Amino acid sequence: MRKIDRPGPQYDVVIVGASIAGCAAAQALALADSERRRRILVIDRHRGVSPRFAGELIHPRGAQILEDLGFYGPLRAAGAVDVEGFSVLERADGRYVELAYEEIVGQRPRGLAAHHKSLVRVMRGVIAAQPQIDLCEGWVIKELQRDRQGVACGALLEGDGAEVLVRADVVIGADGKASAVRRLAGLPDERETIGFTAGLEIKDAAVRAPRFGNVVLGAWGPMLIYPITEGADGALTYRITIDLPQALPAKGARLADFLLDAYVPFLPERLAEQTAEALRGRRGAIEMAPTVNLPAPRAALPGIALIGDAAGCSHPITASGMTMGLRDAERLGEEARRRARAPRGERWLDEGSLRRYRAEHDRYVPTRQALADAIYEAFRGGNEGARAIQRALFEYWESGPSARRRSMALLSCAEGRPSVFLSEYIKTAGHALGSSIVPRHATHFPLQDRARQVRGAVSLATDKLGLVTQVMWAQIRPAWLPREA
Amino acid sequence: MRASSLEDDVDAERRLEATIEGASARASAWRRRALAPEQRGSVAAPDVGVACEVILADRLFRDLSPAEEQGLMARIRGAQDPSGAWLGRGGAPDLSLTALGWWACVQVGDDPREERLERALRAVHALGGAQRASFSVRLWLAIGGHIPWSWLPAVPAELWLLPASSPFSPSQVSTWARGILTPYLLLTRAPARVHLASAAPLLLTRGGAPIPPRITRDGLIGDLVQNLDAAIKALRKVPRGPLLRASLARAQAWLAAAQQAHGGWFSARPTILSLLALRVAGAPFHDPRIRRGLDYLRGARGLVVGGEAPQLAQGLQGAPLAVIARLIQAAPQDEDALPWLLAQEISEPGEWQRRANAPAGGWPVEAGAREILDVEATCAALDAIAALPKTASQSAAAWAATRRAIEVLLAMQEPDGAFARFERGESSVWLTTAPWRDAELLAYGHVDDEARVRRTAMVLRQLARVGLRAEDDRVRRALTWLEGQIDARLGRCATETLAALAQAAALYPPEGAPRREAIERQLRARQREDGSFGAAVTTAAALIGLCAVQERPCVQARRAARALVALVESGAVDREGATISGHGFSLTAEDPSAGAREAALALRAYAARGGQL
Repeated sequence: MRKIDRPGPQYDVVIVGASIAGCAAAQALALADSERRRRILVIDRHRGVSPRFAGELIHPRGAQILEDLGFYGPLRAAGAVDVEGFSVLERADGRYVELAYEEIVGQRPRGLAAHHKSLVRVMRGVIAAQPQIDLCEGWVIKELQRDRQGVACGALLEGDGAEVLVRADVVIGADGKASAVRRLAGLPDERETIGFTAGLEIKDAAVRAPRFGNVVLGAWGPMLIYPITEGADGALTYRITIDLPQALPAKGARLADFLLDAYVPFLPERLAEQTAEALRGRRGAIEMAPTVNLPAPRAALPGIALIGDAAGCSHPITASGMTMGLRDAERLGEEARRRARAPRGERWLDEGSLRRYRAEHDRYVPTRQALADAIYEAFRGGNEGARAIQRALFEYWESGPSARRRSMALLSCAEGRPSVFLSEYIKTAGHALGSSIVPRHATHFPLQDRARQVRGAVSLATDKLGLVTQVMWAQIRPAWLPREA
Repeated sequence: MRASSLEDDVDAERRLEATIEGASARASAWRRRALAPEQRGSVAAPDVGVACEVILADRLFRDLSPAEEQGLMARIRGAQDPSGAWLGRGGAPDLSLTALGWWACVQVGDDPREERLERALRAVHALGGAQRASFSVRLWLAIGGHIPWSWLPAVPAELWLLPASSPFSPSQVSTWARGILTPYLLLTRAPARVHLASAAPLLLTRGGAPIPPRITRDGLIGDLVQNLDAAIKALRKVPRGPLLRASLARAQAWLAAAQQAHGGWFSARPTILSLLALRVAGAPFHDPRIRRGLDYLRGARGLVVGGEAPQLAQGLQGAPLAVIARLIQAAPQDEDALPWLLAQEISEPGEWQRRANAPAGGWPVEAGAREILDVEATCAALDAIAALPKTASQSAAAWAATRRAIEVLLAMQEPDGAFARFERGESSVWLTTAPWRDAELLAYGHVDDEARVRRTAMVLRQLARVGLRAEDDRVRRALTWLEGQIDARLGRCATETLAALAQAAALYPPEGAPRREAIERQLRARQREDGSFGAAVTTAAALIGLCAVQERPCVQARRAARALVALVESGAVDREGATISGHGFSLTAEDPSAGAREAALALRAYAARGGQL
């Protein structure tokens, strides 16, 4: 890679966004070009790394892609941590379930977690070894160039007070949920801000499963604690992310007090103390990032591909965003490899490549979004139905290892079969009904209350039927069936 | 001129601080007095009825020391009105209290021919005779052998065999009523008999025989039920063998299981009856259950200020946690308070969990009780915990207790959206619709009670503190219920209720701004010329409400604060207590600590908002 100050006039591919999905896509394309005939430009708005904290947890499916693309070793060397699964704690003294990756047959037994800034820095360092790639930091896309047929054929880029017109066969939008490429492509902005995530760092967090992503429920929104850095001495630094509502009840310095009152009590004792310490001892404002729901837009248009969060994102509770971005990159790499020997005069990633990319993308992204939405709603427990599903999930997971295995396979993007999705839905709905009828603590729970809980569970299960159908259709939809323009 | 104004400001600030410190110190002293191992001060003194019953029961137990008996009698005698009657709520002569007061005096040896007792007797007769008095008085008359047991309502023993979900099951009645009904059943089956001083003069007679009371309400249904009652009593004569034995065994098992760690059965009256029932069942005086029960009654007694001789009030319960937690909040400088409060948390399963789906947690109605939840005490404890400075280890314990308490509070929500106090369903007991005279005692309060409005607003404040938002269906239901109450009764609400609503509305703005404005308007309209809202406690509540609705204290808040400061400085807050809620036959109790305590809390809230005098 050349780190250049000004882009050249002609590339095969322009990637807008040099974060995880953008770097992975650049690397996948570069590796696909074994004869080094192609030129790839990667631009990013930020010089260095984006100051905002973002995704840090990657499922085994994504970790495998990182390894295949040559990122895994350097990331581990830089302190990234192998993650063994997820644990879910109902509340500090509630039910506890571990969903281990190693129980999923035929998949890598560990995911990966790393500090976001370190992740991006290392990935940019890795793509530096690829001579086909040029990286321009501090540049943004201003306009898309189109040919007479309306196919994107380049972009007008802006940076350092100058504008450069770059011609390219394909423009890849890897510029996140607020993607400029998506906007310039004319796709409607359907983003909906769900809330915010506050992030803190804690040394040696007192979690039951040190190398797991630990979800703690009970507060207004779920909290997720996972390791992000492993020191040379084996000491782990953790990230705790706290899910906050869209209308923040407190801002500035009062936000810390609010977190102490409203979230910290729901953490296990020692972890609560550590979190309180981190809140009180922090310098400056608490790191915050908006949580956004973006129903998957068209992932490919003529001459344009969208990957990662630009091509749909949902609440980060299932930690599947980066894995999806990596899968997008991998998929584009496969298409690039398929067309590696395309003659000079032809486009490297032609319309067929983009169509196939879109068809595949549309299979796994709706599943991921549906799951993230459902899990978030259940973990929040903001209504009777959601609480029924939350209770049901614990009961289901406690019912045996195969239940945990199947759920984890779905959650970690390792499983996409519609039959599994449907059977999981039916089983969870069944447990939701059961737990609504038979409460845990009340020995003589009034019938009226049971009926209200059952109504809530049935209502939520019915509401989700449409979503289940949509996901199943996305899985079984024949590739030849025409999609909307 | 400018320098003088600055000095005035500094003086006013110092005055406010000094007043808060003074009131806080008094609150601290009250807390120490209320929890003192000996010579305990009473912070919830009910009417003298329960003290009279203790005097009567002591004829059997012989447990009172001479000093205790003198103390109780000093209070009983001191409470007698010059008219001869003992007064009840609203200052009206109370038949039951007067009958019990007369009887207690005679029981300890007072001469019934004394003028004051003659007057009391006349008052009883004027009010219809002791046979028309409350169930409690009639029960004692039956125990004393002055009226037949058939003059009391019939309770079929088989009810104890019904499943708890049955509307006729004793499980469906309020905690207090269950504590009364079960020993009552055992006493009627024995039947119990204690040789008490003669109370025959209390009864109105016709032809030399006492006139039987009507035990049902007036009206046709009452007449029918009177016959039903007679039928049940007649059926008792029919041999029922194993069924009856099983029923009584179930009632006895409940009685044994319901004695709490502190020795009592929910409160003083259920404890007195349970102890009698144990004796009737054959337990000797030295039975540990009886000794512990008597110790509980002793612990519920406290000294009250007033009169020449030391007066001892028999409380309904020991140190009430709702009051103690407020005292702790008002005196956050006491380092021992937080550990004590955390140690009171409920950690064992209790009967309240039968209909509330939550693990053990929250705070009980009184210190030392481990099984009886009190939502109001829980809210007060949460307020105190939030206000107190904590060490790191205390913080962790406080968070854990808070978390458990919030879960408990949510589980105590009734289907209509309001919150129960001791048990879910306590205000909507189906059996209260039965036309027996005393049927309303089977419930705790009523679904339309203003206390429920205050309690629900209080719980909402706790839910807001942990971040629950109006979108949450549980909060939504509570708000919808409160909105209905606001629409229906806002103008009739007490100032304290308006203040509680104002605090809740500040956290969860009700649907439509007019409701919030209406609450604020009503609250502001209650202010008097002198800046107060009435008594010190009412002014303090209003000041807290006003501080909640505005970011910076307004002129009205300032006037209220000045009035409150004047009351503290003049010492009036020490003379002005508050009437707090009781239960059963004693629906209210006097809390002498309320003035100083609430003044400290309100002025601190005012100062925290930047208020100045």
